[in-house]
Amino acid sequence: MNNDEGERTASSARLLIVGLVAVIILLGLVLLAMAIGGSLVGGAETAERVNALATSDDECVVCHRQTTPGIVQQYGQSTMAAAEVTCRDCHEVDADHAGSVEHEGTYVLAQPSTAMCEVCHTTEVAQYYQSRHALPAYVAYAGAENLSPELEEMYLAVPEIGADSEQLRMRNALHAIEGEAITRFACEDCHNIGQPHEDGSVGQCQDCHLRHEFSLEQARKPETCNHCHIGPDHPQWEIYQESNHGIAYMTGGDHWNWEAEPGTLTVEDFPAPTCATCHFSGFGATGTTHDVGSRLTWYLFKPISNRRPAWQDNQVRMQAVCQECHNDAFIDEFYTAADELTEAVNDRVRESDEIVAPVLDQISEVPFDEPIDFVYFEAWHHWGRTAKFGAWMQGPDYTQWHGIYELLADLSELREMVDEYEGGETAAGDGE
Amino acid sequence: MRMAQLSAILPRPAAERLRRLPLSRDQLMLLMAAINLLFLGLDTYLAHLISGTIRPREWIPVLFGPAAGITLLVAGLIALRRRQLATMLATVVLVASIVVGLMGAYFHFIRGTLPTAPLLQRITIDLLVWAPPLVAPLVFSLVGLWGVSAAWVEDPPNSGRLRLLGDRTLQLPYSKTRAYLFMVSLGMLATVFSSVFDHARTGFDNPWLWIPTVAGVFAVGVSAGLGVIKEPTRADVATHVAAMILLILVGVVGAYLHVRADLVGRTAVVPERFLRGAPFLAPLLFSNMGLLGLIALLDPRER
Repeated sequence: MNNDEGERTASSARLLIVGLVAVIILLGLVLLAMAIGGSLVGGAETAERVNALATSDDECVVCHRQTTPGIVQQYGQSTMAAAEVTCRDCHEVDADHAGSVEHEGTYVLAQPSTAMCEVCHTTEVAQYYQSRHALPAYVAYAGAENLSPELEEMYLAVPEIGADSEQLRMRNALHAIEGEAITRFACEDCHNIGQPHEDGSVGQCQDCHLRHEFSLEQARKPETCNHCHIGPDHPQWEIYQESNHGIAYMTGGDHWNWEAEPGTLTVEDFPAPTCATCHFSGFGATGTTHDVGSRLTWYLFKPISNRRPAWQDNQVRMQAVCQECHNDAFIDEFYTAADELTEAVNDRVRESDEIVAPVLDQISEVPFDEPIDFVYFEAWHHWGRTAKFGAWMQGPDYTQWHGIYELLADLSELREMVDEYEGGETAAGDGE
Repeated sequence: MRMAQLSAILPRPAAERLRRLPLSRDQLMLLMAAINLLFLGLDTYLAHLISGTIRPREWIPVLFGPAAGITLLVAGLIALRRRQLATMLATVVLVASIVVGLMGAYFHFIRGTLPTAPLLQRITIDLLVWAPPLVAPLVFSLVGLWGVSAAWVEDPPNSGRLRLLGDRTLQLPYSKTRAYLFMVSLGMLATVFSSVFDHARTGFDNPWLWIPTVAGVFAVGVSAGLGVIKEPTRADVATHVAAMILLILVGVVGAYLHVRADLVGRTAVVPERFLRGAPFLAPLLFSNMGLLGLIALLDPRER
């Protein structure tokens, strides 16, 4: 090849060379960045929590850094602070806003109402209002009689209330019996998740989205639900721990992608589900929801469980989550078996009704004033429900020993108690 | 002087057909600007919808995109009878587009920083990766820039002298063709940055994600290189054309892969996934830039 030919070849390929050099430079920079990045962090995955308010001279921040430093620190590390949502955005209201208090020359809500969250999270609040976590949770202890007409309308618009029996609106008598000094720390603590605010909005978003970090990870972790969904009446936390899903979480959850973009979660982010994955998250072919009942097929919390309105749609949504890991045959078989168990537990609870039926006129109408009231109540409220939850959430011990076994024991005890009532009646009759 | 022209590397019949296109290069560029603005409005709407609530200032690009796109199309019709008026109208719209893009970049940048965090933590790579896409709004500016370039007639072709209002002219340091090539390179650079930041969220675990990065950088170098070369050879033009075709393919394949990712393997359409998941319109920006890179090489003469 002479010089001319060489020059021509170089000339014809010069742009290709320029492009390739650019690519090589890029790859070199990538390698350099990876090497520097690796040496800086030592290869460890260290996510630094940055305090976005560390040097803020905002009035609220400066003052509360002295008075309540904990919440300032928490909020500084939140994504909301990083997104420039200020204290005022959530707390400051007009003077005539119901529930507002004067504070340092302005008016604030000491605890922002759902109406404040709704300004940005409109869809989430609308979904939540349709759920049992909204007014139905509150009415369960407080009753519906004191609701304003607007709240009454909102309450009746919740599908499960409007579509079902009076039983769902029933107020638990224990609240009145125990008294305010106790219930404040007991039933109300959980059921206030649906408490109305003075401004007419409903609910306590921060029960699940703990203030002031509002962390995705915290909301997605089952410990959050554990605050209420625990104990003999609905031991979902214990059942979850016993289930394979819970075992996967406890043994591998540290490596899951807790901060994954909402609505886009896949098995790569969550190889096994938490409470949030099945009931709230956009996962697989199911979209995100804040209506906790929108994927459920039964009213498992009722004494005798029946189907929810539009349960077939709910089933499709839940099964779309299951399908990310399980095949259709497995899911169908599981649903069929769990449906059968639900009916079987229903039969046992009906049996408790039949046992006490002959002596109902002898049992005082005052709730929880006789031992039989407690045994009858626990039969369905603790053991019947636990057996059903245990099956649907795959915690065998809770279906067996903490569920149906206890229910059977209560049925036996009820029979004995009823015999005593009947014996007493007979004895009294004999005496006459 | 040799010019960078597509017809130079095509067989004679194909080159002849290219010359008989119903629209001139600048008209095609303006048409592309209009289409881009319409799509940018839609794309911005979808992106801003992610939070569920679009803030007042976030409506600016959403409304501006379609309004500007339609106005440009109307300006194109006006140009059939009153060229000067149409040029003025298009210029106003396109300058506004530049401003909207710069404002967007500023807002996105501010949103991606922590101004009251400790000094060394106010701007980090992590923040920029997870912030609203920093360079995405600049596409509005780029469209404005190439649209303005297309709106003003270069007389004579490839002289770099633009005819302004009346008898006034503006002499640019480069011909319009070379200016277009620089803009394609700049646009590709912004596209690559945007794609790298977006893909960085996944940690580049998927090897497919390196393809747009490498192809994009290659195209940046080639387009800028062709712009720099005063007398490009046929091989130079052919390399550029190949790079642009590669971009078009990367964009189409990327759009397919993004849609496939959003379908989560079950062919179920969950709108939320299309909003929050892989942005299905974004890869088409590669195709868009590739197409512009090819249009830039058309005959620069006015009809």
